[in-house]
Amino acid sequence: MSTRTLHTTAPGKARLPLATMLMLAWRNLWRHRRRTVVTLVSIAFGFGLAVVMIGFTDGGHNNMIRNAIKLGEGHITVQPRGYLENPANHRYLADGKALASQIQALGVPGSVEPRISLQVLASTPANSVGAGLEGLASVDDARAKMLQPRLIDGSWFEPGDERGIVIGDGMARKLKARVGAKVVLMAGTQGGDSQAQLGRVRGIFDSRVDEMDDFLVLADIGLARLFLQGEGADASLAPVTRFAIFLDDPDALAVWAQKLKTGLDSDTVVALDWREMMPQLVQFLFIDAAGSYIFLLLILVLVVFGIVNTVLMSVLERTREFGLLRALGLGRRHLLLLVFLESLLLGLLAVAVGWLLGGGAHLWFAYQGVNIGALMGDNTQMMGTFMDPIVYSELSWERVQQLTLLIFIATLASGIYPAIKAARVTPVQALRT
Amino acid sequence: MQLLQVQGIGKRYRQGELEVRALADVELTVTEGEFAALVGPSGSGKTTLLNIIGGLDAPSEGKVLVNGKEITAMPEAVLSSFRLFELGFIFQAYNLVAVLTALENVELVMVLQGRPERERRERARHYLELVGLGKVMDRRPSALSGGQQQRVAVARALAAGPRLVLADEPTANLDSENATALLDIMYKLSKEEKTTFLFSTHDARVMERAQRIITLRDGRIESDERREQSSHARALA
Ligand SMILES: Nc1ncnc2c1ncn2[C@@H]1O[C@H](COP(=O)(O)OP(=O)(O)OP(=O)(O)O)[C@@H](O)[C@H]1O
Ligand SMILES: [Mg+2]
Repeated sequence: MSTRTLHTTAPGKARLPLATMLMLAWRNLWRHRRRTVVTLVSIAFGFGLAVVMIGFTDGGHNNMIRNAIKLGEGHITVQPRGYLENPANHRYLADGKALASQIQALGVPGSVEPRISLQVLASTPANSVGAGLEGLASVDDARAKMLQPRLIDGSWFEPGDERGIVIGDGMARKLKARVGAKVVLMAGTQGGDSQAQLGRVRGIFDSRVDEMDDFLVLADIGLARLFLQGEGADASLAPVTRFAIFLDDPDALAVWAQKLKTGLDSDTVVALDWREMMPQLVQFLFIDAAGSYIFLLLILVLVVFGIVNTVLMSVLERTREFGLLRALGLGRRHLLLLVFLESLLLGLLAVAVGWLLGGGAHLWFAYQGVNIGALMGDNTQMMGTFMDPIVYSELSWERVQQLTLLIFIATLASGIYPAIKAARVTPVQALRT
Repeated sequence: MQLLQVQGIGKRYRQGELEVRALADVELTVTEGEFAALVGPSGSGKTTLLNIIGGLDAPSEGKVLVNGKEITAMPEAVLSSFRLFELGFIFQAYNLVAVLTALENVELVMVLQGRPERERRERARHYLELVGLGKVMDRRPSALSGGQQQRVAVARALAAGPRLVLADEPTANLDSENATALLDIMYKLSKEEKTTFLFSTHDARVMERAQRIITLRDGRIESDERREQSSHARALA
């Protein structure tokens, strides 16, 4: 059967196997070694720098997010529907017990912290200020753990202590309250009456976040629950205003947020992830990252120009050779592909070296960290959270893929013009010179 | 058998207001196995005619038939593979791909033809040995002399097994010793392989080696002289 085709068919089309094309492209790339190396190194260096920059941005931001979650309401918060839009003391989860066992039944890997958050007026003979009373169920609550080391005076309240409170240094200053001072906590009820409880300052903290230091009053959940009873809650049902859920594996957020939403959402209850709880923080971080993105964009432009310049120069030098190849029987498409492959190889090589440089630097800084405390002083708080003084570079797998894809697309884009230029060569013009 | 038929070929170039007549009413037939020279003063139209015969350029009027197929009517893609399988080209200079060795240069055309690797490797070696380059096959063009480079081009043209080899001043960049040596090789191969050659030249000593001398002047064929035996053949005898 092969003899038939051999003898009867018209000559076929020119075949240029990929292996041959790759070999040609590779050798052509190294025809001007120095030029290629310079291009390669500049792209790789720029890309490496972008990697480091994004690693630090992500590292700092993730640190802020983690701190915000610890100081705030967990990875996922289960609270009364409508509370986020319109917080009020009478919006609480009356049957905390039932809800707690429902959450338990879902088997969330992590800790579930019952909390009572109330808006109160804190008064001493010296002053009165609006405050957020936070009732915590245990001393192991993430927020308690975060703030315990930041006590600057006194001590933490004991579990079950229905009178003890811990306040921030800002509030202490405003109330002129020291450890041992009495603070009256007052709240309005839905009916229009008011109710009050007496608290005694056991400790004073400095969280580094002014919004918290000026505003938070931390207490045992028992103290806070007295206010809910005043609203008519049944204490035996363990009423709370929310459950803060801290996942063991933060990467599992999406999965568990979904499970909790489908498992718990009802007319009265809603499960929200931290992004939904802190939309301003999300927005702030996005804008804060803009600098890195602009830098990355510049790098991509550098990549495109570097490749176009290098490959185009080599295409223009090889006009005669393209003419020759066309005369021999290569189609325009072959030349197009050949030159495109050169750009592609150059781009891939640059990205590989770039990852080597940037990835290496990232690993170093992920392990070593950089002390930005010296740079920014103590003023690393923003949006109700703060950045630790030592920032470690962080790159998620998604980021790695994203960056690689971006640079790959830039490479592809830069391959187009020189390739078209090469394909346009006609043998007669090329060989006349 | 008529391998090449050139019928009423004309070529005009427009340069602004001016019209340049590069070729006019060219009629020519070449029989299989001929070893023919195309001569004439500079600007007489040799390159233009060879380019049209090779399907690299289109005529303003007239037809070219190679082996009975009208190449002037072929679309570009068909023409391209026609060149690959039926024609061999040797140019004045820059005949070779710089990043390929002599052997790879000769092989390249056979790669394009889709010949199996072993066959093309053997053929490439064989023809390079025939042109006397057995020892320098693995060198790149930059490490070969001008004469050696032209011999690689000859080997490449023949290894692909074409019906007709077109050579535009293949010896122009060579000294006379190298030029006559190249011509000797071309002549020998044309006889051994029964391949038809049409080449242009300025060089009187190169001309002498042809069996047929077609002279162009101002784009027209001025004379077409056949010899029973070229001086070259006599010399070899
Ligand atoms: N692209 C072009 N535009 C205008 N005129 C052209 C073009 N190509 C060739 N010519 C003209 O056509 C005529 C024939 O040129 P051609 O190159 O075929 O001559 P030639 O015999 O090969 O000359 P040489 O011996 O110098 O190589 C010349 O007058 C030349 O100037
Ligand atoms: Mg010429």
